Amino acid sequence: MHGSDNTAGEMSVEKNATLDTKGLMCPMPIVHLAKKVKEMKSGQVLELIADDAGAKEDVPAWCSRTANTLLSVEEEGKVWKFYIKLK
Amino acid sequence: MAEKFCMVVSEGSFDKAMMPLMMGTTAASMGMEVHVFYTFFGLKLLKKNAKPKLPGMMRLFTGMMVGKMKKLNIPSVDEMMKQAKELGVKFYACSTSMSMMGIKESDLIDGAKVLGASAFLNMAADAKLTLFIG
Repeated sequence: MHGSDNTAGEMSVEKNATLDTKGLMCPMPIVHLAKKVKEMKSGQVLELIADDAGAKEDVPAWCSRTANTLLSVEEEGKVWKFYIKLK
Repeated sequence: MAEKFCMVVSEGSFDKAMMPLMMGTTAASMGMEVHVFYTFFGLKLLKKNAKPKLPGMMRLFTGMMVGKMKKLNIPSVDEMMKQAKELGVKFYACSTSMSMMGIKESDLIDGAKVLGASAFLNMAADAKLTLFIG
């Protein structure tokens, strides 16, 4: 189902790319996130998957520092999915 | 204008090798401009093919630590250095320490810049964050 991409918290978020960082620990998820974002365009949405304990706090902090928008977060057991809309 | 983050490293052990690289890559990933100044024993870490050991007697267990990190998928010192450079982290070698330790510029890794305390302090003076790593 195509979610409306301007509403945070909608069940299904439309994404332009996925970055899977499962198995990697801080700071690598953030390092890969920064590199991936450089390849993407303004307004696109990136789905970041992580199972790093630090990611829960790291990703929102990164978004806040770099002025990118964290649309929503899904948690499935020990795996988090962050939906980030690029400025 | 990007915020500046400066670090000073004056010890040359394994943990001091990793710390600025981990924090530096993180800060660079967050859009900060990172400058790391190596002085005294920290200078060893900027040499080509540096193989830092755990501090003191623990140096005998460096292999175990390296093995553990590999198991945990944590990048090695060399890999972190590569990531740091890719993200634009800047490395500086203290000119006086180089003379004291008999290290020549050609002994240093590519991209390391030699400068003195004044130049570094000038950078740190208006940095948002400056940390003394050890």
